[in-house]
Amino acid sequence: MSSIELKKVVKRYGAVDVVHGIDLEIAEGEFVVLLGPSGCGKTTTLRMIAGLEDVSDGELSIGNQVVNAVAPKDRGVAMVFQNYALYPHMTVRQNMEFALRPLRLARSETDRRINETAVLLGLDELLARRPSQLSGGQRQRVAMARALVRTPDVFLFDEPLSNLDAKLRTQVRLEIGKLHKRLGTTIVYVTHDQVEAMTLADKIVIMQDGHIEQTGSPQEVYTRPRNRFVATFIGSPAMNIVPATISDGKLVGDHVSVEIPERFKKRVQAGQKVEFGIRPTEISLLDGAEQATATARVEVTEYLGDEALLDLRIGSQELIAEVPANQCPAEDAEVRLRFNPEALHIFDAETGMSLENQAR
Amino acid sequence: MNRPNRRQAVLVYLLLAVVLIVFLTPIYIIASSSVKPTPIMFQKPPAMVFTPTFEHYTQLFATRPFAKFMLNSLIAALGSTVFSLTFGSLAAYAISRIRHKRMNDVAFWILSMRMFPPIAVVVPYYIIFKASGLLDTPLALIIIYSTANIPLTVWLMKGFFDEVPRALEEAAAIDGYGLLQIFWYVTLPLAAPGLAVSAVFCFIFSWNEFIFALMLTGSNAQTVTVAVMSFWSSDAVQWGRIMAGSFIILIPGVIFVLTCQRWLVRGLTMGSVK
Repeated sequence: MSSIELKKVVKRYGAVDVVHGIDLEIAEGEFVVLLGPSGCGKTTTLRMIAGLEDVSDGELSIGNQVVNAVAPKDRGVAMVFQNYALYPHMTVRQNMEFALRPLRLARSETDRRINETAVLLGLDELLARRPSQLSGGQRQRVAMARALVRTPDVFLFDEPLSNLDAKLRTQVRLEIGKLHKRLGTTIVYVTHDQVEAMTLADKIVIMQDGHIEQTGSPQEVYTRPRNRFVATFIGSPAMNIVPATISDGKLVGDHVSVEIPERFKKRVQAGQKVEFGIRPTEISLLDGAEQATATARVEVTEYLGDEALLDLRIGSQELIAEVPANQCPAEDAEVRLRFNPEALHIFDAETGMSLENQAR
Repeated sequence: MNRPNRRQAVLVYLLLAVVLIVFLTPIYIIASSSVKPTPIMFQKPPAMVFTPTFEHYTQLFATRPFAKFMLNSLIAALGSTVFSLTFGSLAAYAISRIRHKRMNDVAFWILSMRMFPPIAVVVPYYIIFKASGLLDTPLALIIIYSTANIPLTVWLMKGFFDEVPRALEEAAAIDGYGLLQIFWYVTLPLAAPGLAVSAVFCFIFSWNEFIFALMLTGSNAQTVTVAVMSFWSSDAVQWGRIMAGSFIILIPGVIFVLTCQRWLVRGLTMGSVK
């Protein structure tokens, strides 16, 4: 097990910076997920940790040792590649053996490790097969076994589930989670799938355009997003963002008016341009006489089983609400809405930063 | 559905037959003439029925050290093949993997080595080898054949190396292997078909080469192609021996190609990525 530390790490291709001086601390045994849209620099960051890409600037340490100039093989890391990268001319057993050979273990120890790992990942029946004779899920497990068998200090996963179908993905995701609990090895895991990130991570690192937007536990990034990008990136369907102005202790937007929650009152001033965010699950339909936040027209309804998604129009604004399916109104109906004030997020209209977390 | 298919099949087989006749007729003439008694060799129409004789073969080996010439050819061809595959594939690997805007120029420069007409460079080669004492040695032929074979190998192998996924090499690098180990254990085995194709081309080219062998070898390093031609003198053309020699020349090439054929399989990297 090892801790990892990135200090002002930059990756530059020619004159173009793709990772802009990021700082990140990963504790021993921690499961950290790098999450972000394609091209955000998460894979590049992982490859720098692996040693497959040079660090252009800054300092990268693994286990308190600066490894900027250390070859991949001497970093004590193992990696599971997005496309598995199994050696096609070797059997499953040989693939694992090949990973062990540089460690110069005794024959009996090599066999013990291979058999143990194979049993752990359910590959014991497949050891004599070649990668071309395996299904996608099996190949994925072989890739994991090959990394696991070396008992590395750090595990690196590069979108390991993206080539699997939805059902298998859930299953392997669970297996990875269990594996981490069992082994306690430090894991850095790259994905663009927020469900993977939320379910697996001790700590999520959300990246965009080569910057870290927020680092925190799954709960933190979901409930206290630091800025508009994180707020809309985490959660599905995405958080609704409504432009508004502060006026008379209220957030006033186009055909919407919401009471400012207590915790924001001291942080805003009259006339300030802001945007407020509300998750689709925090919008409810009113049928009684309570005071409504807004009145909306239902444009499209999407039935999901237990819930229904409503595409709503308020003035020029489009919003999505998630309501219990049995409350689903007809399309084109006028509905009265209530936004849960406790669940409101307020962002500065210009910087997009949350007004809640200004201290950070 | 069935009828046009059948007609197509007939057409394909007819075409194949024509192609086979075109390619096999010379070989048939060589093979049959090599066992025909001299008096009936030029009979018109050709004699189809005759008592075969091996006199040409016995004369071939009796009048000249033909076995030695065979050995010379084999040393030159195999030597050049091994040499070209070793350095050609290493160079190809570098060209395939090193990202540099001038890399294409390097590749074309290597290819340009092959563009010299042999007849234009044979005299300079003669002078060089004479000065360095390599004239009439198999090593001279190995060096010359390799200058032609290496560019071919580089270009063939580069294509095959380009197809080997980078992720495999990265995986091996993380697993603890150095650059040459990765090349030897991962990349090269996956480019085996390319190696086989290159080997076939290198061997056949070297084995069949005539002009350099004629000009740069004498009694010591003479190859079979030159030896066979020596039966064509100003006094007489000994067709029987030429045919027997030619038939023997055919054999190693065929054996070599058949040996390499089992490596000429496609889809070797299947299942590695995705």
